[in-house]
Amino acid sequence: MKDASDVRARLDAVDYLVDDGLAMAVFLALRLGKPLLLEGEPGVGKTAAAKALALALRTPFIRLQCYEGLTAGEALYEWNYQRQLLAIRLAEAKQEKLSDADLFTAEFLQERPILRAVRHAGPTPPVLLIDEIDRADDEFEALLFEFLGEAAITVPELGTFTALRPPVVVLTSNRSRDLHDALRRRCLYHWIEFPAPARAAEIVRRSVPGATEPLIRSAAEFIGRVRGLELDKAPGLAETIDWVSALSALGVTDLTDAAVIGTLGTIAKTPDDRAAVALAVHQETP
Amino acid sequence: MLLRGTDRAALAVALVDRLRRAGLPTGLTETGDFVHAIEVSPPLSVNTLYWTARIALVRRQPDLAVFDEVFAAVFADAPPLPLTRQAGNTPARRDDVHVPVPADTQPPADGRGLPWATLPPAVAPADPTDATLHTPERRPSALAALAELPFEDLDATQTELLGEALRATLTRWPTRRTRRHAADPAGRRIALRPTIARARRTAWEPVALVRERPVRRPRRAVLLCDVSESMRAQATAYLHLMRAFTLVADAEVFAFATTLTRLTPTLRHASAAEAIARAGALVTDRFGGTKIATNLAAVLDSHHGNTLRGALVIVASDGWDSDPPARMDAAMSRLRRRAHRILWLNPRASAPGFLPTVAGMAAALPYCDRLLPAATFQDLTRAAHLLQHLNTPAPRR
Repeated sequence: MKDASDVRARLDAVDYLVDDGLAMAVFLALRLGKPLLLEGEPGVGKTAAAKALALALRTPFIRLQCYEGLTAGEALYEWNYQRQLLAIRLAEAKQEKLSDADLFTAEFLQERPILRAVRHAGPTPPVLLIDEIDRADDEFEALLFEFLGEAAITVPELGTFTALRPPVVVLTSNRSRDLHDALRRRCLYHWIEFPAPARAAEIVRRSVPGATEPLIRSAAEFIGRVRGLELDKAPGLAETIDWVSALSALGVTDLTDAAVIGTLGTIAKTPDDRAAVALAVHQETP
Repeated sequence: MLLRGTDRAALAVALVDRLRRAGLPTGLTETGDFVHAIEVSPPLSVNTLYWTARIALVRRQPDLAVFDEVFAAVFADAPPLPLTRQAGNTPARRDDVHVPVPADTQPPADGRGLPWATLPPAVAPADPTDATLHTPERRPSALAALAELPFEDLDATQTELLGEALRATLTRWPTRRTRRHAADPAGRRIALRPTIARARRTAWEPVALVRERPVRRPRRAVLLCDVSESMRAQATAYLHLMRAFTLVADAEVFAFATTLTRLTPTLRHASAAEAIARAGALVTDRFGGTKIATNLAAVLDSHHGNTLRGALVIVASDGWDSDPPARMDAAMSRLRRRAHRILWLNPRASAPGFLPTVAGMAAALPYCDRLLPAATFQDLTRAAHLLQHLNTPAPRR
């Protein structure tokens, strides 16, 4: 990719619309070979950005979902203990001698997402998404440093694997926990803002091709107003897309009270929010 | 094309220097990134340069405002920045007047006017105040005697001493089980990797089994302290309590009156006096009105809301709230669904004849696990002691 506008055009071709900031962030991450840390409200398209990037680059997409207690065994690599034990029994039966090196070789190594990304042998480097890194604990962040800094993983028994072409790494976080400065230092950072109604309409149009133009426009405006209400969970872009899909599946062409109330479950996710949005709908159309 | 023939390194260093003086923690890695970035993406317009600089130099969302300001000052016709750390960001906060919520007008008939039972209905009994003479009780130290004085009778040094003493009592924090495992001979699960590594020494026969068990972690704590006018006497003492919690238990702490202020990073400062002074300066709406329900909702809605999940939540307030009780009810029920335990510290609860009839307090009470008095350091120490024995299983042996 030549420059930021090229990134934007290529992502546009796979139906993912980016603004100047995200285009620049992706371009710099690709060109400087640095991981990209994306933060933003839930549902602004952090995960979708990584998926779209893989599509645009026509390369495999590897995803690692983080959770508490995630260890090297699930993220980097694991030894295949069952096979090792079988190999021991087999050697005994054949009266052979096993040396150390026989049990800790590449054949007994199970790749997990990050090692798979490092050892990927294709012509283009894969896109690795480390999703919701804030859900993993501090220990896991420390595990990532070698990989994020040098695109390498050290297996004590085998040696260090270094990627031929460093994978494109995207990390996302919902800020439920403060990430360590050492992790932030190794990444480029971009904060994704919630798009303005006109842009949101543009994005929905791409995601829900069946919906009519006036419906999309009025839905995007309505979501903009709903986000101004005091809600437990303000609807994001993902909810907007779900909602417009639901409306167009029902064959709704313009936004009526009945249609909104009937499909409220796609945008209001708690009983309190449901009541607040329903009230706003009634007040708007007396 | 902007900046033709400019020394990129000099430009980057000059910009980073300004950012650092404005309080943005920009390091050498970021500066290096920025130089590479303007190399690969030559700034064709101010907009391109802005995004290049922002992505390369800023690593956290709260820093964006400062960055925007500095960038505007350098590359647009904005007024020059004041070159001190704190001068840049002092937003004018709206400081509402104190509007106390009228208490229930009916006099409490027989001492049980409202249903004020908490989940386990427990309130520390008021001290029996009999007027008969008795010999003065001996205290183990002067500090123990001081701890019984109400906060308003203590001077700054005494408060600090007691704050340190309170911190020293917080030793055993309630824990929770995590999904991580660590080797332990008493564990139930067999750790395969170390067992096979150990089997190497015994001709691959797993003779010595290595066992592991779940790691226990201190349970997260979130402390919300009221610093409004009605809590003026307690404010400094509560700052000490908050500091003790941040240092010992890695707690998230917030102060509120009309608006919410997060004090966690500020109170971590090594010197108690310095930390308290900085925190005091940070809370701009001190000694104003109170909006407890609004502020509880604000914590729940912010991205810190997730830290409340499974946490011990301690609210320190007298419950005088200018929000309607219905809002308090809604906010507390949301908090109840997220938190592990909710403790309410009320400075008035130790007064003889205290009844939680203030509208806000009465609305919040059904959702609290305990309501504890907090008028003296002794009360705070007692509360801390109780907290440490909440729900922690005895170590298995």
